[in-house]
Amino acid sequence: MHFLWEELRLAVSLIFHGNPYLLSIVWFTIQVAVIATAVAAVIGVPLGLAIGLERFPGRRLLALLANASLALPPVLVGLLLFLLFVPQGPLGDLHLQLTRRAVFIAQSVLALPYVVALTAAAVQGLGSGLLAQARALGARRAQLYVLALREARIGVLAALIAAMGTALAEVGAIVIVGGNVYGYDQTLASAALFEADAAHFADAIAIGIVLVVLIVVLLGALGVLQQHGDGIHMRFRPAA
Amino acid sequence: MGYLWAQLRAALPLIASGDSGVLAITWVTVRVALVSTTCAVVLGLPAALALGLGRFRGRRALHILANASLALPPVLVGVFVLLVLLPQGPLSSLRIEFTLRAVYVAQTILALPYIVALGAAAIQGLPPGLPAQARAFGAGRLQCSRLALREARIGVMAAVIAALASTLSEVAAVIIVGGNVQGHDQTLASAIVEQVNDQDNIPQALATGIVLMALILVLIGALTLLQQRSGGIRLRFRPEG
Repeated sequence: MHFLWEELRLAVSLIFHGNPYLLSIVWFTIQVAVIATAVAAVIGVPLGLAIGLERFPGRRLLALLANASLALPPVLVGLLLFLLFVPQGPLGDLHLQLTRRAVFIAQSVLALPYVVALTAAAVQGLGSGLLAQARALGARRAQLYVLALREARIGVLAALIAAMGTALAEVGAIVIVGGNVYGYDQTLASAALFEADAAHFADAIAIGIVLVVLIVVLLGALGVLQQHGDGIHMRFRPAA
Repeated sequence: MGYLWAQLRAALPLIASGDSGVLAITWVTVRVALVSTTCAVVLGLPAALALGLGRFRGRRALHILANASLALPPVLVGVFVLLVLLPQGPLSSLRIEFTLRAVYVAQTILALPYIVALGAAAIQGLPPGLPAQARAFGAGRLQCSRLALREARIGVMAAVIAALASTLSEVAAVIIVGGNVQGHDQTLASAIVEQVNDQDNIPQALATGIVLMALILVLIGALTLLQQRSGGIRLRFRPEG
């Protein structure tokens, strides 16, 4: 146990001395999580609402696709994006390979299924009477969407938290498209992989502790959300 | 698109030919998935039953813990397992660091939360009267467990499929504890990471990716089938009486 103890002691001192490398990774990780979740929310929440509310051809297929892509290995997403980004590839002119932007894109793609599938599930879980009543009372489509979003807000927020959790924990895709470049486009998770591979265990433990703290904060937020669901006041209000 | 097409054309023959290494990696991956999921089921199912059926102090806390462990980053599990197994670590006498066995251990730990949390959720989703009635009729703990397993079989199977899928896609923990040694303890997912880093190996990475995708699709298909025809499925679990 002496070895573990010694590494842990070193790790804690790294954290408390505000190691600049560690701080820069934390900052980049938060950027990745926030940007990826925001992009996924902008694209995914309307999609999820449409799947939950509308009746259009291909709706079932879209829902099935969103659910299935939850099980998609991130490595495969990384591989696909890598092939698009290589200089000879279709998007080679954008020079995204091994950049921070590639990391943002990869994590947004990975976060999207969470937002779409869980938002659709949350909207479908609403009482069917509510939306029918709103329709009968003459709510326009935009009003209906706002109402559904407001009523399903807990589920939608849970979806965003889940998306953020994957952005924090995921490694497979960003290592491939970003190259895991030291101190440049490393997130906490990919940096932990890097340091463990390099046998820098104290660094890996320090990074791991910070990562766990972030994940626990997210889980705590989710727990609070689910328990005090009714007490939350949000800005979404019906237009009427 | 010409580039992608050319890579794909180069990749397809690699899947079929035995000497490309894709088959060997697939075999290792299937073994890892089966061994670790089996271990996770053996260890996790009793825990899921206890959480789902039992009434004991701390059950709620354990339940929250099981759910939370689903969100645990696999990288951290990898770091932890490696530290424990290293020559300086507490379990160094096992001498399994950077071997396939270390991968089994890490993947079992990662599959466990799926079995425990999702299995317990499936059992808790049973009508509350069912276990109570069985108890009232004098069913013992074992009989109650069997009954619950049989009734919640769809959810439990879904948990097993989720565990299998997680072992297939996992990368970070496999690379850390196994060292990603080619042809030895590389899985399809971890092999892709290495092959992509080597620019000349794109067709190989693509071939590996296609096989991984096929395995995942089989699992997703099984899950969809399970959820749609849940009424028609017969499993081996039967009540004693």
